[in-house]
Order: sequence, then structure tokens, then C-alpha cells
Amino acid sequence: MKLSAEQIERLYQFTRQHYVEYYDLQTELVDHLANAIEEQWQQNPKLSFEEALQIEFKKFGVFGFMDVVEQRQSALNKKYNKLVLNELKTFFSVPKIIGTISAIGIIFYLIKQLQEGFWIVQGMFLALILSYFFGILILIRRNKKRNKQNGKKWLLKEIIFGYSSSAGLINLPIQFAIHLKGENYHDGFLLLFSFLLIVFGLTEYIMLILIPSKAEDFLKETYPEYQISVGSL
Amino acid sequence: MYICSDVNRFSMKNSQLYKGSLTTIVMKLLEENGRMYGYEITQKVKEITKGELKITEGALYPALHKLEAEGVLEVEIENVDNRLRKYYKLTEKGTSETINRLAELEEFIKNMQSIVNPKLT
Repeated sequence: MKLSAEQIERLYQFTRQHYVEYYDLQTELVDHLANAIEEQWQQNPKLSFEEALQIEFKKFGVFGFMDVVEQRQSALNKKYNKLVLNELKTFFSVPKIIGTISAIGIIFYLIKQLQEGFWIVQGMFLALILSYFFGILILIRRNKKRNKQNGKKWLLKEIIFGYSSSAGLINLPIQFAIHLKGENYHDGFLLLFSFLLIVFGLTEYIMLILIPSKAEDFLKETYPEYQISVGSL
Repeated sequence: MYICSDVNRFSMKNSQLYKGSLTTIVMKLLEENGRMYGYEITQKVKEITKGELKITEGALYPALHKLEAEGVLEVEIENVDNRLRKYYKLTEKGTSETINRLAELEEFIKNMQSIVNPKLT
């Protein structure tokens, strides 16, 4: 005996009740539970749908789906970090590296000219931090609006649009902004600052603009069901 | 009392021994069967080992998701019986990785065997 469409819908509801927010994970768990329930029915056709469901859910252990959700989150976070890193790498390979090096050179020259007003460098780090927070806020807002429209949440999408765990990345520029003082820095230091400023700037650009703009492609690649579900709406 | 605690300890150790090989088991199965979905994998392992080894749901899906994020596996979706089914299969990288892992596992088994069961020569 196969599960009916209503029973499948009930399984979706069941996963939501057990804190699985994301449609991609819900779908996989629903199929798993459905298979397991059908298997039980083969051995014991008298078993009710709800009873069979409870038996299967118990097999996930005391924490239910929590473990699966958490580990899925960390796996996709890793994937996202890899995406950012890959994009960043392209700025350090031909042909973009020419632009990257020139930008570092320009910043280096500027800082060197403005040695006395080191607050300008501080200001640049600060501007990077502020624009990052604003950017994230805008992304989150946009995503919320879109989620309201179609009601399905995708984990990778949440990560791309602001849920990212990038607090560590922003900590470093904050430290720079706080600890920089108007002293006569060695050229090597100045070069390092210029390099870091550019790397932060690029990372910000990648996270806030580049990857969100390519989000659809990444989502389709990660979730073949993304197209099906968006198309059917 | 004694026997009981002994049994418990044994089964715990037992599962830990298998834990490290879970991803290799999954990759081997996918190499043989092309593409599979989660439930199918748990059933297949049960079938092959005649119920001796049961992969739990709580361990299988995290392992699959990790391998997918690492680029070892890729996914396909199909509509089956009113629902969407997610199939996993090895990527090119995954196929060569499987060969490495299996060789490693065989080496491990060989070494364990000679430690546990030394041949008298």
C-alpha cells in the first residue's frame, strides 16, 4: 500500500512540528518516513498511519531530527565558505589579479601619503564594517519578503541571504579599527594594511553582491528540487 | 549483572568500530548500485549483513550531507508516489575517492587481522 497525498502532506507537517524548518530537509525526511511506513505496512497491514509514523520517528533517537538539521547546517555552511573562497581566489588569479594588485598599490600609496592622518585608514576599516552590516540587513529583509511570497525555506538560501555565520570575519577589521594609531608605520605594515583592506573589501563584495546575484544558480545546483518547486508555484 | 554490563560495553565498542567506516560503506554501495536514496541505503546494508549491521537514520543523513558538501556525491530528484525522492550518486571525484578509501579499508582489515590473528610461521 502506498501513502496518499494527504498523508504525505501530514508528514511535511510532522517534520515542521519537529523543528525542521527547511523544505530541502523536510522533503528528504518525508520520503524516508514514507518508505519506512510503507515497509511496516507490508509486514503489518493493520497498523495505523500515525502508529507507524511514531515507530519510525523513535528510530531517530531522543533528539529527533535535531541532529540531522544541525549537521546539515554545518555541511552547508562549509559549502558556502567554499563558495566565497573560490570567488575570492579568482581575484588572485589572471586576469583579475592585475586589478587586485593595482588596487592594493593605490591604497598603499594613499595610506603612505596620509601617514599623519591615520584616522583615514581607521575610517576605511570602519566604513567596511558599517557597509557590511547594512548590506546584511538589506539582504535579510529582501529574503524575508520573498519567503513570505512562496512560504518555503531553503537552508542554503538562508545562509546566502544573511544568515551566514561570518561574525569571525568582521571581528578582524574591528580590531584593526580600534588598535590602529597614528604612528610612523613601516612600509611592510602599510602594505599589509592595504592588502587586508582590499581582501576585506572583496570578501564583502562577494558575500553581499556577487553570490546573492548568482544565488539562483547555486540553489539549482544544490537542490534539483528547487526548480520543480518554484516552477510549480 | 556482570554479563549485562559486559554486553553493553561490547555493543558500544562495536558501533564505534563501524562508525569510522560509514562513509566508506555508503560510497562502496553507490559505486555498485549507481544511484540510491537514503532509505534504500539503510535497507541494503541490513540485507547484505543479514541484519547484523544497521545504519541509523541519525547517522546516515549527516554522512550523506557531508559527502555532498565535499563534492563526493551529487543529487538527483525524482517524483515518485506523490513525493519527491532524493537520489545520491558519486561524482567523478567521488569515484576516485572511493577507490582510495576502499584500498585504505582493506589495508586496515589486513593489519587488524594480523594483529588479532597472527599467523604462526
